[in-house]
This record gives sequence, structure tokens and C-alpha cells, in this order.
Amino acid sequence: MTNQKKFIVSHAPFWHDGSCISARSYHTMLAALPALLFGIFQYGMPAVGVVTFSIGCAMLWEVILNFAMKRSVSIGDGNAAVIGLLLAMLLPATAPWWFVVVGTFLAIVVGKMIYGGIGGNSFNPVVVAVAILGISWSNILDFNEAYINYDFSFAMLYPLATLKAYGVSAVSGFNAGDLLMGKQIGGIGATFGLGLIIGGIYLIIRGIIRWEIAVSFLVGVFVTAMLFNMADSSKYAGAGFHLLTGYTLIGAFFLASEDSSSPVNFVPMILYGLFAGLMTVLIRNIGAYIDGVIYALLVANLLSPVLDKIRPKVIGKVA
Amino acid sequence: MTKKDLQLAYALAIVCFVVGIISYAAFPAKTPDTPLRLMFHSSAGKIWFDHDTHADQAGYGISCEDCHHYTDPYKCGECHALESDDESVPKRSDAFHKQCIDCHKEGGAGPVECSACHVM
Repeated sequence: MTNQKKFIVSHAPFWHDGSCISARSYHTMLAALPALLFGIFQYGMPAVGVVTFSIGCAMLWEVILNFAMKRSVSIGDGNAAVIGLLLAMLLPATAPWWFVVVGTFLAIVVGKMIYGGIGGNSFNPVVVAVAILGISWSNILDFNEAYINYDFSFAMLYPLATLKAYGVSAVSGFNAGDLLMGKQIGGIGATFGLGLIIGGIYLIIRGIIRWEIAVSFLVGVFVTAMLFNMADSSKYAGAGFHLLTGYTLIGAFFLASEDSSSPVNFVPMILYGLFAGLMTVLIRNIGAYIDGVIYALLVANLLSPVLDKIRPKVIGKVA
Repeated sequence: MTKKDLQLAYALAIVCFVVGIISYAAFPAKTPDTPLRLMFHSSAGKIWFDHDTHADQAGYGISCEDCHHYTDPYKCGECHALESDDESVPKRSDAFHKQCIDCHKEGGAGPVECSACHVM
């Protein structure tokens, strides 16, 4: 056992396996496609407008910042397109054009470029943008208000807002199967649970996101919601409801796992996910806001560098 | 990042930007002639009102003039100003409170407490 070779590194030159950031970005966009197409099918052309305009504006802001900062144009890595896409997926299909312009500015400029570009941001740019938009224009991000002129075959009330406003008895009509199949109103790409799970599994298999973060976030939401529900089921909704509503699933697979703002080691990743899940349900159940995912992720992003201080043991210690 | 990546990104940005502008310009938000739902804003909290359920025959089947006073329904805000001293035309909040609560009491159904409506 003492002679066991644990880690061998050969001399340079190394062989590049051909992977690149742009491939990661386009795989992420591909993974988002099932949930996105469902949203477009449901809300029609206004959703197409929000999604395409958001991607276009996000890339344009990055080019403008590249020129302003006298750097080479960096949109080729596809990261700006991913940010634009994910932002649009969180917005209602009725978001006005100026809202998309401001949102993409906040994500790309305030959330990413002022830190020096990709990899430098401490917070997820999309989360930063939605947090600021939500505080500044809460009525536009109020899905009940956004969809007052839409009529589908299911309840036209945002499940989490219904829970907050009318209590647990009012959400008994939402069953897990319907929520999973997208029979709920919400962000363009945030309502089709099954599509988000399929996209998330694809990203995990591809190695683009870490399963530790996504799974621990969902476990954090599930366990905390379950404990609240066990304590008082007449006041707090069940764990399944919290998992399938609001930004939970898109948060687990597309937001929490963003490279730059999440930890890199195993234990920190687990703690980060659990903490974000815990905070999400705390904010939903006893906080003032309807959905806690955005603010929970911001706080978890803040903790990320501290959590990464928990490091694994050094392999192959020199005697 | 290769030159091909950059060209692809430029193409994606331009196509998305143009399609986005066209979509916004060609497909503006449509408002139905008869509202489905309304969100009333007030300092005590927003009120989500299901107009369709109140007016539709499959719902409560209330006729237009029962609430809007006239056969040709005006919007409430067209007559009831936010502030008013005119007793014959009460201010908007008084008009809403009277209309909703009186009807709910009369019918023995629907919320009458402040916190039951001002919830959003």
C-alpha cells in the first residue's frame, strides 16, 4: 500500500482536449432549450421577443464594454448569450423592451464586466440583475399582474404568490404532476419543471455543471420545506410544492451552479447548495418576498469564497 | 476563442437583436375588449380581481350595469377620481369599497375583510 501511486503528472507538452468556453456556453443554451421552447409555445411571440432581444442586448452590452475598456471583443465565448438567455427565462413574456435593455445592462455591465469579465464576478450576473429589477420594478416582475390578459386552461395565479397571499389551503389545487408539466404561470423558461430537469441532467452528464451544487440545493429546499411543513402543515406548504414552483429548478440547474460565483471543492459545494436551499425556503416561508431563490443565491454567492477555504487534504504528501 | 466562434457570436447577436425588435414592434401586447383579470393598486396592498369570473355567465353572471351603472361600461377610473369631494361621485377607493363589500354582504359570499382583498 505504501508504494501505491496516487497521482501522476507527466511532463509538458500537454494535449488540449479541444474543449472551450464557447462549447460550454452553447451546451448550456441547448440544455435550456426544452424549458425555453415550452415557454415560447405557451406565451407566443411576445416570449420570442423577450428572449431574442435579451440575448441580442446582452451581447451588444458586452461589445460596448469591450470597446470602452479597450479590450478584445469577448462575445465569442458565448457567455453573454447565456446570460441574456437565462435572464429572459426568468422574466415574464410581457416584459417591456426597456426592461430587457436595463436588465441586460445590469447583468452584463454591473454583474460581470466591471469585475473584468468572465470568471471575475463574485455574484451570478443574472441573479444580480433580477434582484435589482425586482426591487426597482416589482410590478413588472409580478406574474399575476403580468399575465392578467392571458387565459390558459389552468389557474392563472402564480403559485408562490397564491401561497403568500391566501395561505396553504389556496394552493391545494396545484398538484405536482401539473406543476412538473408547466401548468403554472411564471418566468418564460422557469415553469416547465420536467424540461429544466432534463436540461440539468444533460449539463451534469456533460460535466458543465457540478451535480453536488444542483442536488444539494434541491435537498436544502426539500428538507427545509419538509421541516416547516411538519411543524405546521396548515401554515407552510409541502416540500414538493416548493421544489416545483418559482425559480427553484432553474435556480438549481442554471443559476446556483454558475462557475465564477460558486465553490469548487466537494464539501464547500455541498454546503453552498444546502445553504442556498435553506435560505430560499426561509425567505419564502417567513420572509417578505414571494420567491427566495434570487436573494438566497446572492447570499450564497457571498459565502462562496469563505466556503472554499475548506480545502481537501493534499494528495501525495512529501515525506 | 477562435475566429469562427467570434463570427458565430456576431451573427447570433445581430439576428437576435433584429428578431427581438421585430417581435416587439409587430406583436404588441393585446388587451381583450372585456378584461379577464385586473390588478388594482392601492397603498394598502394590491387587489387581484377576477373580472371574468364575476361577469361570465359560467361564473357569477353579474350584468355590466350592476357595477358600471350604465349599459355601456365605462372604466371605473373615468368617473371616480383618486380624490373627490363630490358626494354624488365618490372617490375611487370609496366607490370600490362600497361596491365590492356591499355586494359581497348582500350575496353572503366573497371577502369583506380588508386583509382578504388587499393581499398581493
